[in-house]
Amino acid sequence: MAAALAHPVMRRLLRIPPAYYVFAVLLLVLWVARPNMLNLNIMGIFVRQIVPLGILVLGQLLVMRVRSIDLSGGGVILLINYTISSGVFPGASMAFFIVLALGIGLAVGLFNGLMVGVRRVSAVIVTLAVGIVLVGIVQYLSSGKPPGDVPGMFADIYNTKLGPAPTPVIFWVAVSAALSLFLSRTVFGRYVTSVGENVQAAHFSGVPVARTVVLAHTLAGLFAGIAALVQTASIAVGSVRVGLDLPILAVAATILGGVVFGRGEGGVWGPFFGVLSFALLFVVMTTFGVDEPGKLIAQGLIILLAAIFYGIRQRSS
Amino acid sequence: MTAINRRLRGARGSRQGMWMLPLLIALAITLWLSLKTAQFLNGENLLNLVPQAMPLVITAVGQMFVVLLGGLDLSVGSIISFTTAVLALGGPSWVLIPAVFVLAALVGFSNGFIITRFNVHPIIATLSMQYILLGITRVLRPVSGGTVPDAVISAVAGSFLGIPMPVFWGVFTLLVAWKLLYGSRFGLHLFAIGGGVSSGVEDAAHNFGIADRRNIVLAYVICACFAALAGIFLAGRIVSGDPNVGLLFELDAITAVAIGGTQLSGGIGSLHGTVIGALVMALLANGMNLTNVSPFIQTTIKGTILLLVVALQSRKKMGL
Repeated sequence: MAAALAHPVMRRLLRIPPAYYVFAVLLLVLWVARPNMLNLNIMGIFVRQIVPLGILVLGQLLVMRVRSIDLSGGGVILLINYTISSGVFPGASMAFFIVLALGIGLAVGLFNGLMVGVRRVSAVIVTLAVGIVLVGIVQYLSSGKPPGDVPGMFADIYNTKLGPAPTPVIFWVAVSAALSLFLSRTVFGRYVTSVGENVQAAHFSGVPVARTVVLAHTLAGLFAGIAALVQTASIAVGSVRVGLDLPILAVAATILGGVVFGRGEGGVWGPFFGVLSFALLFVVMTTFGVDEPGKLIAQGLIILLAAIFYGIRQRSS
Repeated sequence: MTAINRRLRGARGSRQGMWMLPLLIALAITLWLSLKTAQFLNGENLLNLVPQAMPLVITAVGQMFVVLLGGLDLSVGSIISFTTAVLALGGPSWVLIPAVFVLAALVGFSNGFIITRFNVHPIIATLSMQYILLGITRVLRPVSGGTVPDAVISAVAGSFLGIPMPVFWGVFTLLVAWKLLYGSRFGLHLFAIGGGVSSGVEDAAHNFGIADRRNIVLAYVICACFAALAGIFLAGRIVSGDPNVGLLFELDAITAVAIGGTQLSGGIGSLHGTVIGALVMALLANGMNLTNVSPFIQTTIKGTILLLVVALQSRKKMGL
């Protein structure tokens, strides 16, 4: 097997993130089984549902490229959803909520970053604990009952369309493109790459490792805040359960897209297609009548196979 | 002050970790509870404390083995739920109990094999295992129900020589773990491998001739088997299979291990620290229930304690 893997064509193919393969296969399956579902309107609706995950993934890929992880996104989304829907700020304007959401995201991200980058605590533990604390606070404040409604303006913007595509999808593509440019054109982007390649080498080359990690986590918090706004607009009501499985799905989509702790060959668009693959996967499984346990098993297997794909490739090179 | 500090953190270069501080915390909580509420020192409550704490003690001790390697097992919660579901399938206990351990060992072996042979990060490998196992459990038992063999129930609820059974479970767990960690070559190798990982030299132990892959796989198998043991105990307590009983249990286990002074980067930690950590968690839960603290704010308090404890331990490695 090792000889076959070492073949130049095979090595070239192995360099493409698995997300593209999974996306192509799922598209083919859907095209064969349900060709009438492949039109822009239906697909637009499905893709629109996955936009919060897509934006959360942008933060996840950033922290995973500096060998860290962020599992606190679920807590951030829940807290922001609660502050918007519970009516603690009656009559507040949309701009106020947006600033508040981004502020909460930035603050949580900065805290994560300082703990991981400066205090050098395990990122899994810190972000998990922060997530638990935030979820606990929301459940305590709401006594486990769903809070009220979300101001109508959110849903109004969410439901608009720019040409054939829904606005949230356009927004997601635009933010992804901005991050892609940011990572390829700025000094910070190069710092992220060098910290991911080798922390010690980066440190001895004069890269501010701690600052890079703190900034990556802060940006991840900001993306979680944006994801929370989109998620809140999409469900249009308050909830005490929304978004709790998103951080794990975000890790899965990022791995599928070719970004694994420290290695970023997939760039921004690999994880982008990772998210699209998950959107298609849910569509395919729903059309074939796969129930909840089946979906869990499929998710687990996809993460596992994607990770094994990298492991084998690393050993063969 | 520095002398006290060093004492609390353990001697310089110690591989026991900071376990005295959690012991002080445990004593402080006990003192506070006995002054605050009359019910705490009540014989019935103290008797309840042991079975309440036991699943966490067992799971945390298992988790400690992989944490010492610098790994992490996120699938223990699912193993617990899976175990209760298998036990409630119906059948004689002499078939079900060995079957549960064989299945758990298989899960642990898959975890270890994927991590060592395919170079998959432990978090990713065990996370996907958590999903797969949760799915299988929900197929076996969509909602809680079924009945557990009588032998399991009496092994948890009964008493022997006037001593409640859970005490024997605890003694058994500690003896097995003690032998594995301090009385075997495997335990020594565990510290060697973990010490290398935490100093950034992943194959240090390998270069000294230690069969690191085999020992890593063994640690994951041991962790899964301890989780299965906790699952059997829980099945005996709730008397049925429950697909959600182990939900988020891995977090409590990791919290207990971290509170007990075991460093999550590997190489430093102790059995007594882990047991103390699990007892701190159990005392807290018991105390907060007695003082009527809202269950929602309890999770927040647990999370805050975890943050405080890990923030106190400094380490070299950055990131995961």
